[in-house]
Amino acid sequence: MGFLDIRNVTKSYGPVQVLHRIDIAVEEGEFLVLVGPSGCGKSTLLNMIAGLEAITDGEIAIKGRVVNGVHPSKRNIAMVFQSYALYPNMTVGQNMTFGLEMHGVPKPERDRALADVAKLLQIETLLDRKPGQLSGGQRQRVAMGRALVRNPDVFLFDEPLSNLDAKLRVDMRTEIKKLHQKLKTTIVYVTHDQIEALTLSTRIAVMNKGHVQQLGTPKEIYDTPANLFVATFMGSPAMNIVPATVVMENGHPHAALTDADGGVHRLRFSQANLAAWEGKPILLGIRPEAITDPEGADRKSGNIQPFSNRVTVTEPAGSDTFVTMTLSGKDVIARMRADANVTPGQSFDFAINMEKAVAFDPATEARIPA
Amino acid sequence: MAAVTQDTAVSTGRITRTFIYLVLVLFALFYLLPLYVMGVNSLKPLNEITGGNMMALPSQWTLEPWRSAWSTAQIGVEPTGLKPYFLNSILMVVPAVAISTIIGALNGYVLTKWRFRGDTWVFGLMLFSCFIPFQIVLIPMAVVLGKLGLAGTVPGLILVHVVYGIGFTTLYFRNYYASFPTELVRAAMIDGAGFFRIFWRILLPVSGPIAVVSVIWQFTNIWNDFLFGVSFGGTSQPMTVALNNLVQSSTGVKEYNVHFAGAILAALPTLLVYIVAGRYFVRGLMAGSVKG
Amino acid sequence: MATEADFRTRLQDWLPKLVLAPSFAVTLLFVYGFILFTIVLSFTGSKMLPKFTWVGFENYEKLFALPAWNTAIVNIAIFATLYIVICTVIGLMLAIFLDQKIRGEGMLRPIYLYPMALSFIVTGTAWKWFLDPGIGLERIMHQWGWESFSFTWIKDGEMALYTIVIAAVWQTSGFVMAMFLAGLRGIDNETLKAAQIDGASNWQLYRRIVIPLLRPAFLSAFVILSHLAIKSYDLVIALTGGGPGRATEMPATFMYSYTFTRNQMGIGASSAVIMLMTIAAIMVPYLYAELKEKK
Repeated sequence: MGFLDIRNVTKSYGPVQVLHRIDIAVEEGEFLVLVGPSGCGKSTLLNMIAGLEAITDGEIAIKGRVVNGVHPSKRNIAMVFQSYALYPNMTVGQNMTFGLEMHGVPKPERDRALADVAKLLQIETLLDRKPGQLSGGQRQRVAMGRALVRNPDVFLFDEPLSNLDAKLRVDMRTEIKKLHQKLKTTIVYVTHDQIEALTLSTRIAVMNKGHVQQLGTPKEIYDTPANLFVATFMGSPAMNIVPATVVMENGHPHAALTDADGGVHRLRFSQANLAAWEGKPILLGIRPEAITDPEGADRKSGNIQPFSNRVTVTEPAGSDTFVTMTLSGKDVIARMRADANVTPGQSFDFAINMEKAVAFDPATEARIPA
Repeated sequence: MAAVTQDTAVSTGRITRTFIYLVLVLFALFYLLPLYVMGVNSLKPLNEITGGNMMALPSQWTLEPWRSAWSTAQIGVEPTGLKPYFLNSILMVVPAVAISTIIGALNGYVLTKWRFRGDTWVFGLMLFSCFIPFQIVLIPMAVVLGKLGLAGTVPGLILVHVVYGIGFTTLYFRNYYASFPTELVRAAMIDGAGFFRIFWRILLPVSGPIAVVSVIWQFTNIWNDFLFGVSFGGTSQPMTVALNNLVQSSTGVKEYNVHFAGAILAALPTLLVYIVAGRYFVRGLMAGSVKG
Repeated sequence: MATEADFRTRLQDWLPKLVLAPSFAVTLLFVYGFILFTIVLSFTGSKMLPKFTWVGFENYEKLFALPAWNTAIVNIAIFATLYIVICTVIGLMLAIFLDQKIRGEGMLRPIYLYPMALSFIVTGTAWKWFLDPGIGLERIMHQWGWESFSFTWIKDGEMALYTIVIAAVWQTSGFVMAMFLAGLRGIDNETLKAAQIDGASNWQLYRRIVIPLLRPAFLSAFVILSHLAIKSYDLVIALTGGGPGRATEMPATFMYSYTFTRNQMGIGASSAVIMLMTIAAIMVPYLYAELKEKK
């Protein structure tokens, strides 16, 4: 039994089912990120944990207590909203202590809690201002402060960074991570941003269409995505997905691909069990950083396969250069060192790290396990 | 008005502009004309109207018509002036406006922040009631007020105006609260505030603008009402009905100057409200009745 | 561990509905119940007091055979058409003119709008005496030297209706202006700039771009004006009293006099039902569309 248990939870609006039997156990101190495209049900799930939406079926338990039907204020949770939801008519200090006031905490105690949190978040100087006088980043801090003051069992974050500009978002991301490492709180965090999910979480639940597609550590999600959806949703640029056929050569399974000029390449798989797929089509998944120039290839990898192909477009992006080519009729992106000498229209020798390649069953779109 | 921008991209020539200004000024005169006529003629003796020119300024200024309209003119059969009716109107308007605004605020809060299945239907039914021709309810209302013993009383009129006013006040507050972030209500729920506490501590403090709109709208509508006043006023008739009685009385000489003074007296409260808070009034008409 | 909702949560679930319930009940009773009551009455032989003797469609047959009702219908048709059209034209024109970076807009706008704050009784009184040939406009012109000037509409059975149009337009056209002005200010300036770059003249700009974009304002103006027109009772009473003779009888005045002074409650009720149906035909589709959109 976890610290926060989501057991077989279902949500329907009339005949429309928006969440299908969600089952997640969150341990104490864990940072769980629910990530997925809009409409995947992640916010609904968060709202159900908060008690803001009713549970159609299943149970949610916090610290072993089933909270179905328990009023949000009695679940000992705190929530940080996308719009920050600061009460416009109250000062920062009043905003942060409103919850304690509602729970009948005496004033001196409230003030002490407020002072502690304000110091932690370095917002002591803002306490007498109104939310309207704050910048986006300051509001974000106050919203977190309001949650922290309550000292809840579980923190819920609903896309808290999506209203900030790009730079501030990165800063606040680091800040939240630091805070979590320091306070060891249990967090459930909703976002549609896969980078946020990968950087912040201890575990990620990737959601789509009301189902949890994969639940795992960031590394598991990134390296061994459970299916095509997870593979393409997590990571930027997205994982390249190329149709290929499995052929056997020297007793090893290989992926047969066609390059831009019709030439056939055979790339040896590290996964021996793919021999069972001989002669069948699969979908080959390769992350852009697994396709490099030979000098840039990962030296620790035991399976670097060279091949050459014509380059269509190069996009220098400062630290890296992204190179687009065509493989088996699909655009494939490779991530080069910035100083790699690549010219559009010309052929180039690439190296693929096949240890990082994954194969998907085209019929079920699930990853073929190793 | 929309805050987008004040200027259009249209540029116009000198002749067009002169024409535009001319038209705008002429219409301004058209709108001001009756006010001028009422004002000027309420300050002259009657013989200057019957024997002189309505557009002319008084040659002998006098407040007598105002005094007469206020305290001695014949209204119906009693020479009471408009004073008691003015008081009736005040006694009717103040509670009716207050009650309907409070109810409208609570309704708007429920309809936007505590939505339930069928809430749009409930609101639709209430909204339609703003637009019925009141003739359709006159007969049953007369019966019900009679049964309740409220016929011809100020409380009876208050009841009528509250009943047929909550549709509009609900509309205003609903539209206003609709744009109030629901996340704030959720945050307050998590903080442990209940239904009324959220209303009182979170929504009400920011409801000033719409409350002003609702109050002005209700005040003007109820003060200016004639149909309910004449139907159910009985011995507690409001100002509008009394003014009409004054003007339409067929006995004796027609004291036009007194009529004009009386008309201004009847218009004064709403005009004052309009001058003081007209900006909100317009905005309210826009927000409420245009956007439905 | 209880999975049941605790008491406070359940109370919180019910509280909103409890708060709304009285208003809803009052609306059901005082609006829809009363409508039903009046509809029932319109099928009874009620005279001075409600009486529940069923007479079928007799009241409606009588109603449409009455010359006064037919005058009222013709009058409301003429009045509503002129009132709506003239208000819209004036309102739109003033709004477009005011939108040309006019100096003194802040002064003009309240002048155009203040009549809306007045009671129809006040408006009626002012115009009644101003248009009275004995003391008002006609005499003013005579005294200013235009001896042949004649303006006796308000005393003239043929023309009195148009004085009501004048007073009604005076009262509401400024308000229509405000609606159009809000619409104009809401139009994205870049759209207009794009059209100008495409080579549209001012006239074309308004005719092809701006006025079509004002469609919602037109619709709202139409709905509000037709609603005001059909309800118009006070103004007629104050200005002409329905006269001269019955020349300016309207459905609203007809209903009132038949119900409360002529003791023909059944007929009065049936006329109110006809009025309601006319307004409902305009309002229901409008409100339905508005509410549906919002959802």
